[in-house]
Amino acid sequence: MKHAVISCLHANLAAVKAVLKDIDQKGISDITCLGDLVGYGPQPNEVVDLIRERAIASCQGCWDEDIIEGLNACECSYPSQLAEKRGHLAHEWTAEQLTDINKDFLASLPTSIRRDRILFVHGSPNSQHEYLLPDMNAFAALERVDKAGADTLFCGHTHQPYVRELKNGSIRVRLQNTSNNNAEEKEINLPMRKIVNAGSVGEPRHGSTNATYVIHDDVTGEVEIKEVAYDIELTCQAIIDAGLPRIFAWRLSHGFEFAEQAEDASHVCER
Amino acid sequence: MIERWALVSGLKGDLETYEMIQSDLKKTRGVKTLFILGDMIGPERNCDALLNRLQNPRRGDLQPQCIYGWWEEQLLAEQGLRGEQKADALRLNQGEEAVTALLNAVNSTHLKWLASLQFGFIELDCGLIHGSSADIGDNLTSETSPLILIDRLTRLDVNRLFTAHSTEQFHLELTGGGLNSHVKDLNGESQYQQKVSKQSIIGIGAGEYYTIYDVGSDKTHFLSVGGQYNTKGKGFA
Amino acid sequence: MGQKWLISGSPGCGKTTWILNTIKENQGAYGYLRLTEKSNNGQEKLPESLIDYTFLKDQAPHLQDLSDCPDTSISKYKDLLILIELSQSQSPEELEAVGKNPYVNSQLEALNLQLDRHLHFGRDSELPNNDTLVFKELASWSLNLAKSVWDPQSLNTFWFELVNGAYGDVYRAKGLMNLPDGKSIFFNWIMSQKGSQFLPLKTVSPPHGRPKRPSGLVIQGKGLDCKNIQSTINLCLLNDALLEMHQMTLRDRQSEALRTN
Repeated sequence: MKHAVISCLHANLAAVKAVLKDIDQKGISDITCLGDLVGYGPQPNEVVDLIRERAIASCQGCWDEDIIEGLNACECSYPSQLAEKRGHLAHEWTAEQLTDINKDFLASLPTSIRRDRILFVHGSPNSQHEYLLPDMNAFAALERVDKAGADTLFCGHTHQPYVRELKNGSIRVRLQNTSNNNAEEKEINLPMRKIVNAGSVGEPRHGSTNATYVIHDDVTGEVEIKEVAYDIELTCQAIIDAGLPRIFAWRLSHGFEFAEQAEDASHVCER
Repeated sequence: MIERWALVSGLKGDLETYEMIQSDLKKTRGVKTLFILGDMIGPERNCDALLNRLQNPRRGDLQPQCIYGWWEEQLLAEQGLRGEQKADALRLNQGEEAVTALLNAVNSTHLKWLASLQFGFIELDCGLIHGSSADIGDNLTSETSPLILIDRLTRLDVNRLFTAHSTEQFHLELTGGGLNSHVKDLNGESQYQQKVSKQSIIGIGAGEYYTIYDVGSDKTHFLSVGGQYNTKGKGFA
Repeated sequence: MGQKWLISGSPGCGKTTWILNTIKENQGAYGYLRLTEKSNNGQEKLPESLIDYTFLKDQAPHLQDLSDCPDTSISKYKDLLILIELSQSQSPEELEAVGKNPYVNSQLEALNLQLDRHLHFGRDSELPNNDTLVFKELASWSLNLAKSVWDPQSLNTFWFELVNGAYGDVYRAKGLMNLPDGKSIFFNWIMSQKGSQFLPLKTVSPPHGRPKRPSGLVIQGKGLDCKNIQSTINLCLLNDALLEMHQMTLRDRQSEALRTN
């Protein structure tokens, strides 16, 4: 059966509506969301309402967590002072806008969803703040999936959709310790694993302004990356009407993230 | 020129063992640096004498370079020097008594020095850390999945990682292998094979079991206080 | 020598670069002076003059700045080749009419300067033709950034947004920006040319407090969103505590290097 995975909605209602319509038109009813329903965008309540209304299973993203718990993201996860200050501004605005019911809903979201050997998370199984980029060290990437006890890992957070297959792996080691006189050599064969990044609905960063999501066929294992055009002007106008910084509208309409993403892909918040 | 490092951990207040290690090191050629990878303190005995000695080496002592370990982390947390955290891991594993014993084992005059210690050292292309950069209590052993070991090396961006928390002495070298990565995105598909880099994880032991690392030849020698090399060590004499 | 040359042209045509190359390529003593098209009521130098002069002086330390000379004393510099820079932002048909601009003439007269040559970009073939932009009613915005220090990553983002039109159509942007490590970078961008120029000054400030050298930003363009340019810049500049943190690390590293050497 086919199911759709969406991520990083970022309170962009026009984009969410366009993506859900696209999924509906394909006759797919099973949808999973990987979090970051809010943050930066102008319609946090509208987007959370819509996800609740449609009863879409959702993980908690780093923004959803921070809105509930206060700013938890460590400062070093922002790549610059400017990005940090803009992030804080968006955080304060969003926290003020969100209704208590919607805050409770975000607080109730799990950090991961498991279906047999498929795991859904926002960033990585380690942390909502960790980026799994497509060029991350292949062994470290495999470690994330394998340690989590999954065959396929669905993640978001980077806003760049991709499907990465890790296969035909092996590691040879030589071990010397106090109990063996001669170094012992062995070879370990690695399992095959897959990482699927669902991209971003509300804040794309793959080079175009279209929203992205993925469709997974759990019988064939095939994954399709989908691009959906939406009315960006509508969201940009809503950003300005809401009194959010104009630069957010400019960045969105040019296909840049509201704030740049952290450059250190392996960065994990220590707090 | 021969350059050797001595790597020690898990003394847990045992000044006698420390003095014996210092005495061993005097007899070993080429040991220029002594690294103490944490767990200088513990709940079993009073640690003040060892802590005094580490901060004020005697003439003839190899000057120790210390980082903090799992036990220091527990003490500093419990004493309010790690923000909101308390010694939760210790309390969970060994109960309230162990927490009290730890507090009693270290005079508060040492807290300032303990709090000033670093999490780890990077020397040449080596990382020296109590557990790993993932966690101070990361229990890396010779049985740990090599995938995890590669992850820990990658996080620190080093070729050799010296770890102490497991208390095991081992030298695990990654000697070969690879992993195919096939990536599909909106721009198309790409494929490459990531090779295993020649890297190592070295468990240095604890207490009377310590390690000497020969920087030039990249050889490790597992030793114990006053005893023989714990491996087919060729000796330094 | 004792020559006096006027170098005029529109913003971004390459006057400062040509002056620098002339100084570097030739022996002899040089003086530098900048005229303005319109009256600058305050006594303070405009950021643009500060940026250009600081950059030129850094690259060619023997250059003499004559802009602070008492009005009548310039004529005493008999051995200098005095290069006088004049930036013009009138419409193109007026560009050549330097002699007709009464304010420029009054400045030359006040300084008792008789020009030996007048080189004008776009007219004189010995000057490079940089395909300068033709623009009318150009808005200009400048900011004195003395003592300000940027967060380097934030500066990258701001500059990227600025030259890509996030704050209006920018035709020209030029700045001299202080970084926490004591470096100062000359930023230069012209719409008609590919990419930005980033030239670090040779002189580096010590990592103790705020640098004393001039710093500023000049932007020319249309429909400039000056309010948001200013508010973004405010988000990019380091406060005292953060600056001290950066500099402390740097001082530690420097003393470490001294110890090991």
